[in-house]
Amino acid sequence: MAQGTLANVEDREITDTRVVNAPRELIWKVWTEPVHVTQWWGPKGFTNTTHSMDVKVGGEWVHTMHGPDGRDYPNRIVYKELVEPERIVYEHISSPWHRTTVTFEDLGGKTKLTFQMLFETAEHKRKIVEEYKAVEGLSQTLGRLEDYLAKVS
Amino acid sequence: MDSLDTTFAALADPTRRAILAKLALGEASVTELAKPFAMSLPAISRHLKVLEQARLISRGRDAQWRPCRLDSQGLKDIAEWMEHYRKFWAESLDRMQSYVEQLHAEAERNAKRKKVVSKGKHGKKK
Repeated sequence: MAQGTLANVEDREITDTRVVNAPRELIWKVWTEPVHVTQWWGPKGFTNTTHSMDVKVGGEWVHTMHGPDGRDYPNRIVYKELVEPERIVYEHISSPWHRTTVTFEDLGGKTKLTFQMLFETAEHKRKIVEEYKAVEGLSQTLGRLEDYLAKVS
Repeated sequence: MDSLDTTFAALADPTRRAILAKLALGEASVTELAKPFAMSLPAISRHLKVLEQARLISRGRDAQWRPCRLDSQGLKDIAEWMEHYRKFWAESLDRMQSYVEQLHAEAERNAKRKKVVSKGKHGKKK
């Protein structure tokens, strides 16, 4: 195992940084409008169907990811922080719980994008469940996600 | 999933992460591990128990000297699992990047064309 991987595991974090050749206002749109976000969300070969998208603090994006193998993966995201066009923080309401922070930094026409995903603990999960009255059929979703992860391994 | 939760919960604590960092250098006794922290031995022992349950460390059998060491299996399992997510997001961000750059390039081209057209019209009027 690479040392870098170990460090990331200890921090429970996945990070990515890149410079995108587009202004951050456009990138913001691409993250927050269903017509755009469904075009790219997920790995190669995936498509998406948005059922509802309510971009406000506490609002949800409910969507289904369609895998290249023909299987569907329901997803639920809750927005925790929205600072247009600088920062989006959301939590993923399916196991494993995780919180993602995406920041867009203006580099004069180009944009530096920083992606940080932090896996939450069971304790935190319980809090969210109470806060959002966790959805029925959630365990089903989890099962499917687990199947998916097992398959892609 | 439960074992992942256990592992993430174990990793959520800064003291336990510091213990893992120390053990990455080699095995150590409870006393040695307790030294850098202003903590009692029982408190450190509780942390070690959490790490052991999460399979992040293992301990020797000897009742007197129970050295702690990293359990590479626990770390490997979770690292592999996180690797799925890392790949998922690397690919998603690749797709996002090419999509938004294409949108931007199209917008730029359209803006230029409009400029040329309006300049042309202006010229004709003269």
